Amino acid sequence: MIINGVEIRDSFAEAFPMVGTRLIITADTPEWAMIAARTTTGFATSVIGCGCEAGVEREIPAGQTPDGRPGVSILIFAMDFGSLKKVVPLRLGQCILTCPTTACYAGMEEGKRVPLARTIRYFADGHQISKKIGSKRFWRLPVMEGEFVCDDDTGSVEGVGGGNFLILARTREAALRAAEVAVKAMGTVEGNILPFPGGVVRSGSKVGSKYKGLFASTNHAYCPTLYGTVESALTPEVGSVMEIVIDGVSFDSVAESTRVGIKAVCELGAESGIVAIDAGNYGGNLGPFHFKLREIMAEDAKLAEVRP
Amino acid sequence: MTITLKPVAPFTARVDLSGITPALLSALSRRDAEYVQVPHGGRRVGLGDLFFIENAGGDGPLVIEIGDDRLDGVGAGLGAGEIIVDGPVGAFAGMGMSGGVIRIAGNAGDYLGAEMSGGRIELARDAGARAGAAGSGSRRGMSGGVIRIHGSAGPRLAERQRGGLVVVAGDAGEGLATDMIAGTAAVEGSVGPLAGRGMKRGTLLVRNAPELPAGFVDTGRHDLIALRLMARRVKDLAHLLKDATAARRIVGDTLMGGQGEVLVLG
Repeated sequence: MIINGVEIRDSFAEAFPMVGTRLIITADTPEWAMIAARTTTGFATSVIGCGCEAGVEREIPAGQTPDGRPGVSILIFAMDFGSLKKVVPLRLGQCILTCPTTACYAGMEEGKRVPLARTIRYFADGHQISKKIGSKRFWRLPVMEGEFVCDDDTGSVEGVGGGNFLILARTREAALRAAEVAVKAMGTVEGNILPFPGGVVRSGSKVGSKYKGLFASTNHAYCPTLYGTVESALTPEVGSVMEIVIDGVSFDSVAESTRVGIKAVCELGAESGIVAIDAGNYGGNLGPFHFKLREIMAEDAKLAEVRP
Repeated sequence: MTITLKPVAPFTARVDLSGITPALLSALSRRDAEYVQVPHGGRRVGLGDLFFIENAGGDGPLVIEIGDDRLDGVGAGLGAGEIIVDGPVGAFAGMGMSGGVIRIAGNAGDYLGAEMSGGRIELARDAGARAGAAGSGSRRGMSGGVIRIHGSAGPRLAERQRGGLVVVAGDAGEGLATDMIAGTAAVEGSVGPLAGRGMKRGTLLVRNAPELPAGFVDTGRHDLIALRLMARRVKDLAHLLKDATAARRIVGDTLMGGQGEVLVLG
């Protein structure tokens, strides 16, 4: 399959079940809401080393948030519910509670409950105030700046982690530019995050290593400087590969995000230095979710053909 | 289909309708419903002796066509469904209810929604004493649900309230939220004397600072995000809290070790 001169390889991304939740962070200004969101989702690129994967889902305009102030929604994913229940209150307490003017609300109603203020209310040392009206409880914690308002808990969802695609380009500059364009386009699809720095991974990994005790190591088959010395997945003209990893609330949302991202890269076309799109997998035996690139891009490929 | 109770004649004594719920009447035939015994003055009579019953066995709301201030215990113990009263009710309406809705087109007597734990009461006019409070001899008042009073409330509104929400569009009488344990009471009009004495926790939302006991401490005026949240999340408070971002926070009753608060919006 070739779209606008870019080869879509007959490959698939292999993804895993993850448990995730959504938080809505509001603040007096969009800037402070984003600072809290970025801090909370910092050091959360991969569960391998961070315990969770997290990222900014989208900005929410003032008027559409629970308290009417500008907000940001973030998603946090962990490998199981027990881990999620640990990491969410930790990040809430260290990164949102501490951030000026913020408040934090549940971004999901369904699923098992993940504690928010139910855990961190004790910071208020007995001065915490609970309000339960209807079925929803929130807490007010007196802090030096004023009051921190936070929902008691939030819902959770069984999502998908590790959806991905690889951009194979002639130069580092071309690969990065394509990745940036893809990340921007994928930001419009709700229910997903791209947990790596700026949404892009330059050091995709394979499972295992020659060194004992190392779970993951560099994906040598896609390292251009090793081309010819190892069994490579690259062709001679590929000078750089960037990966985009996607975690989402459902298979469909990750598939749609993948499609939008690849489409954006293909629109740049071969003339901007893009050679091919590939995906990372482990042979199909480890993860239950398979995102087959050619199936996902079938409709777009047809449209690209009829376009003059 | 709507189940209807229409008084046969003006009541000659007080009637206790506690436990007469849509669920009860929907499970009975008209004949059986007529034999349900209700206290009437000093004795018990069949429901059919007091009311014409239409559509018993129906699954709709229960409508009491002509209300009367001698009808006590309307909707007391209600767990689900809807009761509509076209007129006033007596005391103990919605007492101990845990769910469902009661709509009353007239006034209500004392102990409206006392000790309720869930559901909703909509009162079109005035409530008597101790709405949302603890019943006589009880230690705890309403613990959940919403009482919406579109008129004014009598003395001791929300006494010993420990949860839920009471909203009064008019005024509240003396002793508002006496010994309040938790929960929220909002009064849009004026508040009578002796409000908040013995408050442990809980919130009083008012427009103007009421006369408070000596144990209340003014912490000053603060920008409170919680007001913006409640204005959006709690429809019953939207009118009172509209555009409110700050309030004077008066904490008490500190002489009783309480941490309740009176939030003065104006």
